[in-house]
Amino acid sequence: MTNLSLGSRIHLLAGGAFILYAAFAALGFRAAGPDGWMITLMALSVVVFMLLLYTLHRVQVALARITARIQDAAAGNLEGRITRIKKGAATEATAWALNDLLDQVEAYFRETNAAFEHAQKGHTYRKAMTAGLHGAFRRSLDRVNVSVEAMAESQRLEQKERLLARVGELSAVNLVKNLKDIQDFLISQNRDMKVVANLSRETAQEADASTAGIQAIVADLNRVIDLIASTHGQITAIHEKSTEIQQIIQVITEVADKTNLLALNAAIEAAHAGDAGKGFAVVAEEVRTLSENTKDAAASIAASIGAFGQATTRMMDDAGHMKEIADTSRSAITEFAGQFQRFSESARTSLAQVSKAQDVTFASLVKVDHFVFKQNGYRVLQAGLDSPEAQASKVDHHGCRLGQWYEQGEGRQAFGQLACFGQLEAPHARVHQDIHEAMGLLAGPWATDPELQERILAAFQGAERASDQVMDALDCMVGERHQG
Amino acid sequence: MSRPMPTQNERVLKDEDFIVSKTDLRGIITYGNRVFIGISGYEESELLGAPHSILRHPDMPRTVFKLLWDAVQGGREINAYVKNLAKDGSFYWVFANITPSFDARGALSGYYSVRRKPKTEAIQAASGLYRALLEAERKAGGGQEGMKASKGLLDRTLQEKGVSYDEFVLGI
Repeated sequence: MTNLSLGSRIHLLAGGAFILYAAFAALGFRAAGPDGWMITLMALSVVVFMLLLYTLHRVQVALARITARIQDAAAGNLEGRITRIKKGAATEATAWALNDLLDQVEAYFRETNAAFEHAQKGHTYRKAMTAGLHGAFRRSLDRVNVSVEAMAESQRLEQKERLLARVGELSAVNLVKNLKDIQDFLISQNRDMKVVANLSRETAQEADASTAGIQAIVADLNRVIDLIASTHGQITAIHEKSTEIQQIIQVITEVADKTNLLALNAAIEAAHAGDAGKGFAVVAEEVRTLSENTKDAAASIAASIGAFGQATTRMMDDAGHMKEIADTSRSAITEFAGQFQRFSESARTSLAQVSKAQDVTFASLVKVDHFVFKQNGYRVLQAGLDSPEAQASKVDHHGCRLGQWYEQGEGRQAFGQLACFGQLEAPHARVHQDIHEAMGLLAGPWATDPELQERILAAFQGAERASDQVMDALDCMVGERHQG
Repeated sequence: MSRPMPTQNERVLKDEDFIVSKTDLRGIITYGNRVFIGISGYEESELLGAPHSILRHPDMPRTVFKLLWDAVQGGREINAYVKNLAKDGSFYWVFANITPSFDARGALSGYYSVRRKPKTEAIQAASGLYRALLEAERKAGGGQEGMKASKGLLDRTLQEKGVSYDEFVLGI
């Protein structure tokens, strides 16, 4: 009996009651005989029973409709409703109550869907409408609206972030590219600077070596100039002597003239003396001839001395010219020697400047290397751990250009003894360690783990701080080496 | 069924109620909840099988209904302030949200409308706009020309406000 459905049970009970009533009526007929009243009552009972069964059937049909709608709803189909509900029927209230429930549920779902759909499109003006919904439906929609607002807000932020990220990515990619250009430029610049520095060094050395040679030449030239000056003096003295000789010859000529006159007078006087004077006349003649000869000799000496005088005059003129030239040369040579001295000094100065510029260039190159290294680290966030950037981030502080330079390269030779040199290694190692740490953390589920994100950020911040110290140490080294 | 004569009698929805009705693709009513039956004044049996347009009030511009139909036939939800006509000639304002229903295969199967009590200031804004649209329809001589005229006026109004229809209707 308990296994039967409600409808079957009602039918069974009604049927049983009808059979019992029929049996009771049959027993009455047998005891009292047929009676008109009893037959009428019997017929009425049958009609009432039929009506009862029909009503029960109607209730069953209505319940089946209600059950079907509830089953539909349980299966997720909220569309169906119960319509053509009889007024005053036993199931009227139940049917409308079910319709109301389905209206609430369907409106709730449609509102929820509409709100989320619009929020996804960024339409925040379309909220879930709560009016007409009751109790838990309404409270839930209020919460939906709060989350839709939060969703829209995070979507706005996300859109903003997306643009920022894309622009950042663009800038980062170009930054590394530009830094690499600068790196290439600095590498070639550094190479050129090395050539220029070597040339300057050679020039300065050669200038130093030449200075001694120049000084020797200047000394020699000065000696020649002195000799020329002394020659000029001697020639002047000779010239003066020849003038004196001409004066003496003049005196001799005058003496000879006077002697000739005296001899002539003596000859006259001898003629006056006659024969006694003959011998004297001969002597006088001899004296006269002698004076003539003397005069001739003096004239020819005078001619020679004249020629000599002309020669010495020319020599004196020439020597004067030579002296002038020598004096001019001396000032030119002095000036040249001074110029050469200055040239040598400026060669030394430019050597110092060039070698400072070379160091500054190298320091800049190393700085750019570190910018690139850090940028590659940052780029791994976007490009992933298999990217060339991640590969480039693996270099340690011994293997990078700066490490090689100060550990084994010319850096140790040129800068090793400086105080600032010691400040370089620790922060440099930190830069590489922190970037490596960030790379290690990036292998984890950082996109969804805020704590991991904090640690990655901290590692990058550590690298930045250490990098600043590396830059300071490089500037300090260059400054220390080239101070003054 | 002859159209009721409109009167100035207003019926008002309760804050906590909403009207729910469903129609098939042609706009024939397939379901109405008790609030609908109560406010419209029709019996359930009168509503079922009748076109939804029996509730259409003569103060409503036709272009609004065109807007509604275009949206739901395109599978989109639509919201509108609507002045409805009850069986006894009374009117009642609703804020209607109409959404398309889809069957299990995803094909349009009917329309579902929830109508809520509108805010007083929204009724004022909507009735002002509708008067202007109706006037435009009348001036253009009704028909297709009238629809074009009132649609043009609606578009211009929205353009002046710099909002979409949805933004406008949900914002008032």
